[in-house]
Amino acid sequence: MDIRGILLANSEHIEGGGQAAAPLATLEVAGKSTLQRMAERLQQYGISSVSAVVETVVPLGVRNFGLPDVSCVSAAPDRFWRTAESVFNDMAQSGAELVVLVRLGSYVEVDFEKLVQFHLDRKERVTQMASDEQKLEIFCISASRRNDAASLFRTQLAHCRSECPLFQHEGYLNPLATPRDLRQFAIDILTRRTQTCPAGKEIKPGVWTAPGAMIEKGARVLAPAFVGSMARIRSGAVITRCSSIERHAEVDCGTVIENSTVLPFSYVGAGLDLAHSVAGMGRIVNLHRDVTVTIVDPKLVASMSVASGKRLMTSAAEALTYLPRLVFQGMFASTKAAQPDLQTTLRQTSPALGTAAGFETSACDTEASHKFPNMVVARRYGHQ
Amino acid sequence: MDINSRPVVVKRMPERLNSRTAREFLRDVRPFLAADRPQLVFDLSLVAQIDAAGVEMLLRCMSEAHKRDGDVKLASLSDQAAVVLELTRTERLFEIYETSTEAARSFSGFLPNAMRQQLLHNKRSTTQPIAA
Repeated sequence: MDIRGILLANSEHIEGGGQAAAPLATLEVAGKSTLQRMAERLQQYGISSVSAVVETVVPLGVRNFGLPDVSCVSAAPDRFWRTAESVFNDMAQSGAELVVLVRLGSYVEVDFEKLVQFHLDRKERVTQMASDEQKLEIFCISASRRNDAASLFRTQLAHCRSECPLFQHEGYLNPLATPRDLRQFAIDILTRRTQTCPAGKEIKPGVWTAPGAMIEKGARVLAPAFVGSMARIRSGAVITRCSSIERHAEVDCGTVIENSTVLPFSYVGAGLDLAHSVAGMGRIVNLHRDVTVTIVDPKLVASMSVASGKRLMTSAAEALTYLPRLVFQGMFASTKAAQPDLQTTLRQTSPALGTAAGFETSACDTEASHKFPNMVVARRYGHQ
Repeated sequence: MDINSRPVVVKRMPERLNSRTAREFLRDVRPFLAADRPQLVFDLSLVAQIDAAGVEMLLRCMSEAHKRDGDVKLASLSDQAAVVLELTRTERLFEIYETSTEAARSFSGFLPNAMRQQLLHNKRSTTQPIAA
């Protein structure tokens, strides 16, 4: 039987203003986007002919969204549904008998075999999936029923002209509607609550790295965690508690990433503490506070260029200017004051007391300080 | 109990705290910081954008105040300011209060409720990793 699949990814599901630039389905979580994961799942069930329609602000025509065996078509928001309908019609014309239609959106671990069997047993035109009375945007459509399919596409999958029986889903489901869902999805993948795995090699129990990931000496990656391809974890950085560092992201020296996702092509500055957040595209979505903050300072969080040539140029410019910068800083930086030792500091007069009181008062001028050089006298604040 | 009679200066921070506004703000508060045992409260309710220069200025104010046995406390943090302070690990260096009044009052005595927010935050951080 000729069964084919259509994956639809558009940005209607985005809420909270977190990731407005692209549909959440195209954002990578633990190395792969939902689009990639769903395409792989369809192929695992023997549905090898899969097409994806992805909404982009600038239509790019046919483009590979990291899906080598999937024909991808990008469509402008106003032409998205028309493009999806024409992809369906093309499939029907080229001999498909059944079409499995999945709108992402949500990530659902569908048992496609059971879905198709249910559809065939009941001899239905269109079958829809549901989970606990909630309808999911996953359909099994008989390809010969073009009018039913057209009614679905023209109402943006809201209504079908014929009655759709519901096939109950029992398995993993993540609505992927908000950045919180995106974070939960990363946690579920890393803690193996899903059938899908992180896209990489498990270098030690619970720690996955994709090819080209760079973890510098002195950096710590604590399980469960994921480091994507070409991502860089600088010395002294700590990645912990189900954190996911996606491809080409960079975590600078001494930064702690805890229970967070760093999106692809994002930079997190040195000495920071990123917790319970999704960071990237110059923004931080803090899940504890339920707030999205735009970070304007590139020293804290920045976006890196997606174009590899531009990234190479930036790296080359940084390498070339490294020595001149050091020389410049050495020439014009103020001389570092010598660190006074503890005894000298303690014997110094408080700047607030000295001239104001009209006489020199020592903060610590006791004989004991000579007898016990290791003793530290802590000065209490005035109001305590 | 020691009754504090020294004045507490409450200063509202600007909406955007970048290097230029931070410099201006520091110039404004410098006379207060130069006083004997300065007591300052910075109200961050209006802050919508804060960068590294803004955080550095806060630390500088704190260090100046500490040099003179004083203190700087923060109040009414906006979400944006709170996220950046958390990110830069500076929130733990300041006493943070819900309102400027509470912050000002705290200079004259220890408020048992002052730590409640912090304790709750710590408790949440140590629980199992879930998406908040």
